[in-house]
Amino acid sequence: MISADSVLSGSFDYGEVARSVLIAIVASYAALDFLGRLTSARGRTRLAWLSGGAIAMGLGIWAMHFKGMLARRLPIPVEYHWPTVLASLLVAILASGVALYIASRQKMAPVEVLTGSVILGGGLLGMHYIGMAAMRLPAITHFSPVLVTCSILLAILFSAITLRLAFRLREETRWSGPRRLASATVIGVAVSAIHYTGLTAASFTPAPPPNLFHAVSISTLGNNGIVIATLTVLAAAIATSSVDRIQSEERLLLVIDTLPALVWSKSPDGSADFLNQRFLEYTGLSVEEGLGWGWMKEFHPEERAEEEWRAAFAAGKPFEREAQLRRADGAYRRFLLRAVPLRDKQGNISKWYGTSTDIEDLKRAEDELRQAQEDLARVTRVVAMGELASAIAHEVNQPLTAIVTNGNFCLRRLDSATWKPDELRAAIEEIVNDGTRASAVISRIRGLLMKASPNRTELDINRIIQDVNILLRNEFTRNRVSLRIELESDLPHVPGDPVQLQQVLINLVMNAIEAASSTTNGRPEILIRSARNRDGVLVQVQDSGPGVEPALVDRIFEPFFTTKPKGIGMGLSISYSIIESHGGQLSLESASHGALFQFTLPANGAVLS
Amino acid sequence: MSEPESIVFVVDDDPSVRSAIKRLIGSMGLQVELFGAAQEFLASKLPNVPSCLVLDIRLPGISGLSLQRQLAKANIHIPIIFITAHGDIPMTVRAMKAGAVEFLTKPFRDQDLLDAIQMALERDRTRRRQDAELAVLHERFKSLSPRESEVIGMVVSGMLNKQIAAQTGTAENTVKVHRSRAMEKMQANSLAELVKMIQRLQGSSRNEPP
Repeated sequence: MISADSVLSGSFDYGEVARSVLIAIVASYAALDFLGRLTSARGRTRLAWLSGGAIAMGLGIWAMHFKGMLARRLPIPVEYHWPTVLASLLVAILASGVALYIASRQKMAPVEVLTGSVILGGGLLGMHYIGMAAMRLPAITHFSPVLVTCSILLAILFSAITLRLAFRLREETRWSGPRRLASATVIGVAVSAIHYTGLTAASFTPAPPPNLFHAVSISTLGNNGIVIATLTVLAAAIATSSVDRIQSEERLLLVIDTLPALVWSKSPDGSADFLNQRFLEYTGLSVEEGLGWGWMKEFHPEERAEEEWRAAFAAGKPFEREAQLRRADGAYRRFLLRAVPLRDKQGNISKWYGTSTDIEDLKRAEDELRQAQEDLARVTRVVAMGELASAIAHEVNQPLTAIVTNGNFCLRRLDSATWKPDELRAAIEEIVNDGTRASAVISRIRGLLMKASPNRTELDINRIIQDVNILLRNEFTRNRVSLRIELESDLPHVPGDPVQLQQVLINLVMNAIEAASSTTNGRPEILIRSARNRDGVLVQVQDSGPGVEPALVDRIFEPFFTTKPKGIGMGLSISYSIIESHGGQLSLESASHGALFQFTLPANGAVLS
Repeated sequence: MSEPESIVFVVDDDPSVRSAIKRLIGSMGLQVELFGAAQEFLASKLPNVPSCLVLDIRLPGISGLSLQRQLAKANIHIPIIFITAHGDIPMTVRAMKAGAVEFLTKPFRDQDLLDAIQMALERDRTRRRQDAELAVLHERFKSLSPRESEVIGMVVSGMLNKQIAAQTGTAENTVKVHRSRAMEKMQANSLAELVKMIQRLQGSSRNEPP
C-alpha cells in the first residue's frame, strides 16, 4: 500500500503541451475571425455566427484543456467520467458565446469589460475544474490554494485582455490578418497559461480505486482523434468565415459601384483614397489619376478652389455643396456633393465619406420653371403697364381733344373774315382750362401710384439691395453683366416701404443692366454702393453704359419721357416720386462715363419733408 | 324757320369735349345737339331731318358700342361716327362692321371729323330719299286688288298673258285689263319700270331686319 500522504509524482509530456497550446491559438484565431463576421452581420445571420463562433471557440478551448490533462502523465491508470467531460465542454461553449456577444457589441465600457471577463474567466475555470472532476483514478486530488487563486486571477486578467484585443480587432482592415494572428497567439498562450496553472494546482495522493461507472479510458487513438476532430472543425469554421467575408465584400462593392452616385472616401486632409466604379466611368479617369488630389481636376475651372476645399475638410463638419463636374466627354454637369467625417474614439477624423449626385436635370427643370415664372411676371407687368397706359391715355386724351378742337376752331375762325373776339376768347379760355386739367390728371395718376401701399417700416437698406440682387440674378446672367456691390456695414435703419424701395432699386438696376449691356467697349459692369450720409443713407447705382446725353439730363425724371422704343416713360418718374415721398432725393449724379443714379433716404429722427 | 336742314347729335361724357365739338361744327353752319350719356340720347325725340351721331365709345352706363346695337335693333338708321380716347383694333372692327361711318381717335384732326360728318349726312339724306320713294311704292302696291297683284307677280316673273290666263283660269282679255289697271295704279310707264318697282319692294322687304 502506498502511504496516504506520499504525493504521486507526475510528469508533463511536452509534445502534448505544445499541441494543446497550438489548438488554443487556432481556436482563438477562429473566434476572432468569427467576431469580425458577427459584428458586421445583422438579425438571424448574427445569431448563426454567434452560435457557430461559440461552438468553435468552446470546442477549441475545451480540446486544449483536455489535451493538457492528458499531457500530464501519472503513474496510475486514469479514466474519465464522460458525462462530466461533456458538461465541461458545454461550459466552455457557453462562456465563449458570452465573450463573443460582449465583444461584438457597439460599445464596450469598463463595466462590460469587467462583467465579461468575470464570466469568461469563470467559464474557463469552471470548464477546467469540472474537467478535472471527471478524472477517475485511484488517488485523492489535493488543490494548492495559492495556485488555485493564482489561476482564478489569471483567468479574469487574461479574459479582460482577450476581450479588449478582440474588440479592437473586429474592424476588418488591411492588416487585420497578421494582427489577428498575433492576438490569437497571445490569447491562446494566455488560455493555456490559466489552464496549466490550474493543472499544477492539483496534486494526487494514492487512494482506493474509484467508482468507474460511466468512466472511459482515453487511448492514444482517442487522444489524437480529439486533436484531429477539433482542428477539422476549426479549419472548416475559418474557411466558412473567410468565404463569407469575400462574398460579403463583393456584395458590398457591388452595392457601392451600382449606387446612382459617385461614391468616394478621403483621408482626413481631403485626398481621395477610394473612388467607386461610377466615379471612374463618369470622369473617365483611371484610379491612379483620381486618387490623392486628382479629383480636383474634375471640377469646373471656375470652381476649382482647392483652398476652400481644404478648409472645408479641415473644419471637420459634414458639408454639402453644389459643383460642376466634367464628364468623360468634356461636358459639365451639376452635382450635389455631400461629405460626412468618420471620427475615432478620440474625436479625430479618421476618414471622410461622401457622394456626388447628378442634379443637372433637376437643376435644369428648376431653371426652366424659374424662367417661366419670370416670363409670366414680366408679361403681367407689361399687361398691367398696358392697362395703366390705356387709363392714362383716356384721362389725358379727353382734355387734349378739347384743346385741339378748340384750337382748330380758333384757326378756322381767324381764317374767315367774320370772326368775333368774344367767341375766340371763350374757346381760348377753355383751352387754358383743359391744359391745366391735363396736368392735374398726370399728378393724380402719380399720386395714385404712390398711395398704392403706404406701408412704412424700419428697414435695412442693405437687405433691400441684396433682395433685389437675388431677384435680378438671372437678368445679370442673361445680359452678361457683372455686378459689384460695396455695402457699408452698420448703416442706420431708415423708415420706408420695402416694396416701393425695391421697386425703385429694380428700376434703377434694370435701367443700368440695359445701359451696360448696350455698349460694346469694355466689360459690362454695374456697381451698387450703399453708404452713410449726413442725415441717413445713400445708395448709388452706376453702370458702364454710354451715359445720358446732356440734352436729355434735365428731362429724364419727367413723366412720359423715355429713350426706350417700348418704354412708357414712367419708371424714373415714379421712382422719383417714391423717393420724394420717403423724404429723400433721387438724382442723376453723373451722366458721362456711364450713368450714376443716387438716392438718399433720411434715417429715423431726421425730419421728413 | 321751323325745321332745320340737318342736325348733328354729339354724345360724350366730357363737357369740354362736347362744347369744343359743338363750337367747331357750329362754325360750319350745322345745328348741333349735345348729350352727356347714351340714355339721354335714347330718351330724346329725333326730328325727321337728315342727321348723324358723333358718339364716344367709353361712356358711363350704356357704352357707345351698345348704343349702336340698340339703335339698330330699334330700326333707327342714323349714321354713326365714333370717337374714342383709346381705341384698339378689335373695337374698331366691331364698330365698322356694325355700320359705323368713321372711327376717329382723340384727339382727332378737325377736318377728319367735318369730312366724316358731311359723309354721314349725305348718307342719311340718300337713305331718307330712298325710304320716301319706297313708302310711295308701298302705298301704290297696297291699292292693287288681290287679283291685280297676283297678275302683276306673274308678269314680273316673265309669264306671257296666255300663260297667266291658263293658270288663273280666266280669259286672256281679262288678264290684259288687270295688267293695264295695275300699271296705271303703280304709275309705271313701261313694263321695265314696273319690274324695277316690284324688285325694289321685294328687296326692301327682304332687307328689313327681322
